[in-house]
Amino acid sequence: MVKKLTGLRLIGAATVVVAALGIGWWSTSGEKSAADVAPVPVGPSVKTGGTLLGTVRSEPRSFNRLVARDRTSNLVSLLLHEKLVRINLATQELEPALAESWSADDDLTWTLRLRKNVTFSDGTPFTSADVLFSLAAVYDEKTASPLSGGLEVAGKRLQLTAPDPTTVVVRFPERFGPGLRVLDNLPILPKHKLQQALDSGTLRDQWGPATPPSEMSGLGPFVLADYRAGERLTFARNPRYWRRDAEGVPLPYLDGVALLIVPDQGAELLRLGAGDVDVVSGEVTPEDLPAMQRGADQGRLSLHEVGVGIDPDFLWFNLQAGNGAPSWRLRRELRVAVSLAVDRQGFVDAVYLGAAAPVAGPITPGNRDWFDTQLVAPPQNLERARQLLAAIGLTDRNGDGQLEAPDGTLARFSLLTQKGNAIRERGALFVQQDLMRLGLGVDVVSLDGPTLIERITSGRYEAAYFGTQASDTDPATNLDFWLSSGAFHPWNPAQEQPATDWEARIDELMQLNVRSSDPLERKRSFAEVQRIFQEEMPAIYFAAPRITVATSRRLNGLRPGVLQPFVLWDAATLSVGQ
Amino acid sequence: MMVPGGPPFVLFVIRRLFFALALVFVASSVSLLLVRVAPGDATTQMRFDGAPAASVAEERSRLGLDRPWSTQYRQWLAAALHLDLGMSFRYGRPVAPLVVERALNTGLLALAALALATLAGLPLGVLTATRPRSLLARGVRLGSVMALSWPPMLLSLVFAAMAARTGWLPLGGMRSPMAAPDALSHAWDVARHLVLPTLALAIPVCATFERLQSRALAATLSDPCVTAAAARGIPPSRLHFRHALRLALTPVTAVYGAIAGGLLGGSFGVEIVTAWPGLGRLLYEGLISRDLYLVAGCAALGSALVAVATVLSDVVAAWNDPRLREQVGS
Repeated sequence: MVKKLTGLRLIGAATVVVAALGIGWWSTSGEKSAADVAPVPVGPSVKTGGTLLGTVRSEPRSFNRLVARDRTSNLVSLLLHEKLVRINLATQELEPALAESWSADDDLTWTLRLRKNVTFSDGTPFTSADVLFSLAAVYDEKTASPLSGGLEVAGKRLQLTAPDPTTVVVRFPERFGPGLRVLDNLPILPKHKLQQALDSGTLRDQWGPATPPSEMSGLGPFVLADYRAGERLTFARNPRYWRRDAEGVPLPYLDGVALLIVPDQGAELLRLGAGDVDVVSGEVTPEDLPAMQRGADQGRLSLHEVGVGIDPDFLWFNLQAGNGAPSWRLRRELRVAVSLAVDRQGFVDAVYLGAAAPVAGPITPGNRDWFDTQLVAPPQNLERARQLLAAIGLTDRNGDGQLEAPDGTLARFSLLTQKGNAIRERGALFVQQDLMRLGLGVDVVSLDGPTLIERITSGRYEAAYFGTQASDTDPATNLDFWLSSGAFHPWNPAQEQPATDWEARIDELMQLNVRSSDPLERKRSFAEVQRIFQEEMPAIYFAAPRITVATSRRLNGLRPGVLQPFVLWDAATLSVGQ
Repeated sequence: MMVPGGPPFVLFVIRRLFFALALVFVASSVSLLLVRVAPGDATTQMRFDGAPAASVAEERSRLGLDRPWSTQYRQWLAAALHLDLGMSFRYGRPVAPLVVERALNTGLLALAALALATLAGLPLGVLTATRPRSLLARGVRLGSVMALSWPPMLLSLVFAAMAARTGWLPLGGMRSPMAAPDALSHAWDVARHLVLPTLALAIPVCATFERLQSRALAATLSDPCVTAAAARGIPPSRLHFRHALRLALTPVTAVYGAIAGGLLGGSFGVEIVTAWPGLGRLLYEGLISRDLYLVAGCAALGSALVAVATVLSDVVAAWNDPRLREQVGS
């Protein structure tokens, strides 16, 4: 599971004002083939040619996806490279890509049959050797790829063999519920271009931003034509791309894609409203939604409601041992009281301006396979919250309206959040206001991204309100979060032994979930994980945003998903009209 | 009397150049050290993403972050003396050409803004000084006070919104993706993109020049030498523009260096909003990714631009005002 910090928003408030002025389930056995996948929903009416204009907020850190995991580098990788199998972001299901079909030989072994007559953009044939090379490159210690963790199962590596040029056999180190979904993390790179760098231990330095486009090749729908640092990335159609639509028309439909680098979201939306670009990098924020709606009503752009986001922000207390926290701050009752004290509908209305859904936990209604409809967000209950706080000794002893701990000190904690991210800052303030009604003091501290992350990773904080970006919906690909040994187990990361009984139980259930290939068993085990999570509340969730994306009206073939990049994840099937 | 080009004047320029070098040294060194000691580093995100400790350690070693700050600084300084400003962590490119490329863009923007502010601000200052009670002068004064209170970033957002409504100007960037490749079309395309950020940067500076020029000229007009010249029958237009204006230019030329520094600072927000690929944006990206060599390089180039502008403004002021030349000579 890849997790990323969502983007910084330095000048959000000013932006808002002026923007308003302007305008599958994995089959556990048997064979899966390309025929099982819904064909691209287009036909002879599609207009081919033209250039799609989009925006990104920042430069790509590298054209080498193995070393860069920022949002722009990921998008560039989706345009330039291809995978064996991929997760369809619209359906959240696994579908064939370079592997046209696959079958399970046993619980641990899969055989994938590769497409024939596929070539890289420079004309070199694609074979199973490229697949083996790509995985070896990810695992190479000198490459130190951030993708390697997402391609391991229980900390162990996959074994790949290639009996012939069009067959790859994947052997898992142990049973793995999500199966081949894990391969969505593996971009296939050209062995003929990069083998020497891998051998010499310099792969990490290859395909940096200064690399001439002619030195790179890929299997994706586009090739990099030009990169002007600080200005734009230009991609041209890869004439050797392997895909065709249902009518047999070669993809991509577009002649090219130009991504303008526009750091400010307000400026991005102004450009979209003015018809300068077809698609912007992110979703429409709640503040911008009315202006975008007016633009849509006036026929200047199109709005697409995609659904509830799957990676809501959350609040957690630092539960790491030895951090000097008073005992009450480590108690479950405090966490449940905080959850009960916050009016989630009010949170939706005030923080997201209505463009969100109240949620009870990390799995939101946007996650089609794993959302548990039985778990509902608790209504605000201040009386119960007071009782819970009193049970851990937090009462107003001197009648000043503020709670005191049994030792007489004020019951207060600091809450770190991300400076410049308007929604997070508003969310933290909303929590502060609601907890003030209980007499529980909260000091909101907004920090810039690197400083905030440094404080969290070094354990020097009391509580935080923050978020992550998901790359898959299957919880078994997110073990770092769920397991007590996980590096991204925010409240108490990387435990040698589970610190609590309930974490030990979640560990057991998640191991069961990961190792099972029975969908029903996996659902059952994860339902219990979610129930324990809601009881213990190590992380408190209030709302998940409703994702709306805005595009130009000339853009056709959209299949937006709730994961980034919402629209351009399958740019090969997009087309532009008049 | 000392004239530009004479020995005392050359010494003055040399002294200012030494000062400029010291400024570049201090600004870049302090920037590098501050980013080095700030919380977080270029590997913080890796750690947050759950990268194995060994990978993080290897990356820190590769970037030199495992060395003491004093060692890292000494090594950087030694290389910087040979104009090697190190490699950018974020871009994987040598810092020197990267910052020069962006400094040229920022320089173009700052020059255009200075030129516009000068060409508009000085005549308006003359107008408000010579006809202070006219309706036009009152309007200009009011406009200047308002413009002084508008930060360039906000102005750039307002202009961007206006451009979005009218479609008269490009909304941002430096070049159109679809621009024709010939030189003339290219120049025209850049010029069109330059208008919006230039206006946003120039308007507050223009207001500053208007206010300074107006007050200086009003003071000069009441000077006995000007009164004497008027008594000798020199026509008002000649008196204002050939005699009084030249004397009154001194305060404006004296602040040119500081204004240039302000323009570089103000360009930061404007470059973000208008997607102008300049030094301010690069510095911001360097700061948020804790790219210390990039930040130091941006600070070096930025302070060099300020220093050059200050030297030039001093030279122009000395050329323009005989009294300053005497002071420089002494």
